[in-house]
Amino acid sequence: MLAILRTLLLLWLVKQAFRLLRALLIAAVLAAAWPVTGTAAIAASAAWALGWPPARLYRAAAWSCLMAAVYAVAAALRYRAWRAVALAPVTSWQQASGLLIHGRMLQAILITAPVAVPAGLAVGGVAWAWRTAAVAAGRAGRHAFAPAVFDARQWKRQARAARGLLAAPGSVPLAARSGMVPVGAVIRAIGCRWTPVLAVPAGWFARHMVIIGASGTGKTNLMIRLWAGWYAAALAASRHGKPRPLLAALDCKGGPDARAKADRTRRVLRGVGARRIAIWPDEATLSLWTLPPRDLAVLLHQMTEHGDGAAAYYADMTQAVLTLAVGAPPGPPGSAQQFLDRLDPGWLEDAYATGRPGELAMLRAARPHVGDIQLRYTTLLGRLGPALDGPGRLADADAWYFILEGTSEPSVAEAQAMALTELIAHAATDRRAEPRSMLLAADDYSAVSRRVPLSNLYERGRSLGLGVMVSAQSWQGLGKDDDERYRIAATADGGLWVMQTPYPEPLSQLAGTRRVLESARKLLGTAWGDEGTTRIQHAWTADPDLIRRLHTGQACYIHRGTATFVHVARPKPSPLTLPAAAGPLTVPPARDGRHQDHRRDAPTVPLPAIPADGPPPLDDVLGPAKGSVP
Amino acid sequence: MNPFAALGLPARPGLTDDQVRAAWRAVAAATHPDRDDGGDPVAYSAAAAAYAQLRTGWGRSEALADLAAAYVPPADPAIGPAASAWQALVILPARIRHGRPLRLTVRAVIAAAVALLAVSIIPGNPSAPAVVAGAGLWWVLTARGDLAPPPGR
Repeated sequence: MLAILRTLLLLWLVKQAFRLLRALLIAAVLAAAWPVTGTAAIAASAAWALGWPPARLYRAAAWSCLMAAVYAVAAALRYRAWRAVALAPVTSWQQASGLLIHGRMLQAILITAPVAVPAGLAVGGVAWAWRTAAVAAGRAGRHAFAPAVFDARQWKRQARAARGLLAAPGSVPLAARSGMVPVGAVIRAIGCRWTPVLAVPAGWFARHMVIIGASGTGKTNLMIRLWAGWYAAALAASRHGKPRPLLAALDCKGGPDARAKADRTRRVLRGVGARRIAIWPDEATLSLWTLPPRDLAVLLHQMTEHGDGAAAYYADMTQAVLTLAVGAPPGPPGSAQQFLDRLDPGWLEDAYATGRPGELAMLRAARPHVGDIQLRYTTLLGRLGPALDGPGRLADADAWYFILEGTSEPSVAEAQAMALTELIAHAATDRRAEPRSMLLAADDYSAVSRRVPLSNLYERGRSLGLGVMVSAQSWQGLGKDDDERYRIAATADGGLWVMQTPYPEPLSQLAGTRRVLESARKLLGTAWGDEGTTRIQHAWTADPDLIRRLHTGQACYIHRGTATFVHVARPKPSPLTLPAAAGPLTVPPARDGRHQDHRRDAPTVPLPAIPADGPPPLDDVLGPAKGSVP
Repeated sequence: MNPFAALGLPARPGLTDDQVRAAWRAVAAATHPDRDDGGDPVAYSAAAAAYAQLRTGWGRSEALADLAAAYVPPADPAIGPAASAWQALVILPARIRHGRPLRLTVRAVIAAAVALLAVSIIPGNPSAPAVVAGAGLWWVLTARGDLAPPPGR
């Protein structure tokens, strides 16, 4: 018995001796490589305290390789022998170690820095990556809550680092030179490469985007930034022969703050070079009557509410009368009044009097209802107001901001949204007009989602070259049923932007899961034992609990199975004043040789002008004084 | 001609109707030909034309876009990278002024101190130029964020 105990004790002692030896060996190596060890320790500690990912250390290591390169060149110039150059780091290390022993620490650090900094940063990055992976897998930490506590603490630090980056005025500009659209500072990247600033390629806007976020989460900031970035990138591309950009932003909620948002959008878009920014219906109008007759008739029919069952008969009757009125031989109506005038049995019979027996027969059948239809459309067009009655074309402006009063007058807003989306779709398909690179953005889409079939446009947009961006306050606001919502969200190849929302699960599902290691340890009483298992589990790529806890301005960008948490930078145009043009502008000719000066096209919305017949008297010139330039 | 300059206004996106009108009033009162001293008909005409252009949001957008188009001419092969670099250099002081000049200065002082330290403590050692290069690189890389973005971005 004693012999067994003695053997066991011996084995334990041997085991402990090996452990001690290993620890001493590691300590010796670390002490010998003190410049690298010190730098790595500082780097990993900084990453832990400041919430940096290992990638940031790797990037810093890569950049600081320039130091090592300069060191190599300087060593080559000094020693002029390849062997001496190759051994220069060792020589420096020996020299620095001697200096360190004599207490000349600063000198020692400076001598070893060119090699120690890149190497130490790289080693620190590896150590930090190992540590984070170990804690996340449950292989490190002192208690069972360690992974959760570690993750929560690192999230706070990462968010703080992102906020710090945004405080720098030039870190996230509205547009980048490379056709990328900078959005904000990255907090955490899951499944994709980490970069300090999230920038989205402008081409992804053509593949549609969805933005979900509760009220007050910074959704408007994000949208304005995306619009401005896309516009700047598309404008830069247009200088290289691509189509000019045209942005159509629908503010479907309306209300007093919509004007402030419109004004802010205009200021930001001006800052990135937009020439004409129209605000509808306050400052500019469009003409519904420019649509092709067939589309116009269908649209007018869809704009009114009509039911099923017995009501379907009247719906068909209305459709027939509208088609006859719009497609009458004199051509399509040019205004609401002309259209209403046509909803008269006498007018229609006169129009179809010659050679159209089929239409006349239809008219006779529908005659008793024409008066009702006229009354209905008089009411509808009256409620819509004059802003869809022209003059104006989408091509007149570079950007349109449409304000729909979806909160106070939902049915009117729905009808207006239907008309506007149809006009935009028509502009995208019109082969006679100048081709434009278009983005249709619907903010607070839920206000009109009941009747506006945006998902159809969404799917058509892909072939039309029309990018669609939809924002809603919740998953439920994205469409009238789950089928519609999934159609919109699942086809958003440009990505999903999820801000704080109480129900992010359907969107997280679209991001999918990732494989993670999960360790379980055996408990001995109340303490952890030294045995356990590790297995592969699936975890959310875009964690819904994390999304639920996002702060104002934070967003999760889900794209192709990856999730990037980002703090969106507030969109601000450059504060720099533009210098005066050196001379008259010259416009480069188009590829086909024609002079392509679309910017000089006169807008159909008239601009007020100063009388040309000499200066008016001073008293007439100066009205009441208001405002001043700060 | 820059219509903003004719009215003494900065060419920036955030101008309001009232600000433009106030500027116009000031210029018109100072240059109108009805003044006892005869005013300045040329300046008045230029200001009147500028006001006609800038009095509406549309007009201001167009004038600003014209200036931006003249300022950023990447489609014109006649203006090469040298000219672009020159333009970037010209606006650098303004970018510093509208950025975070204090931070830039502090960083510059730190980088210069490290470089000076290296040159003075380890002269002749190959590490000295490397440390100087490293300090300079650190300053350049960290300074970018402290500059205001250039116009149009």
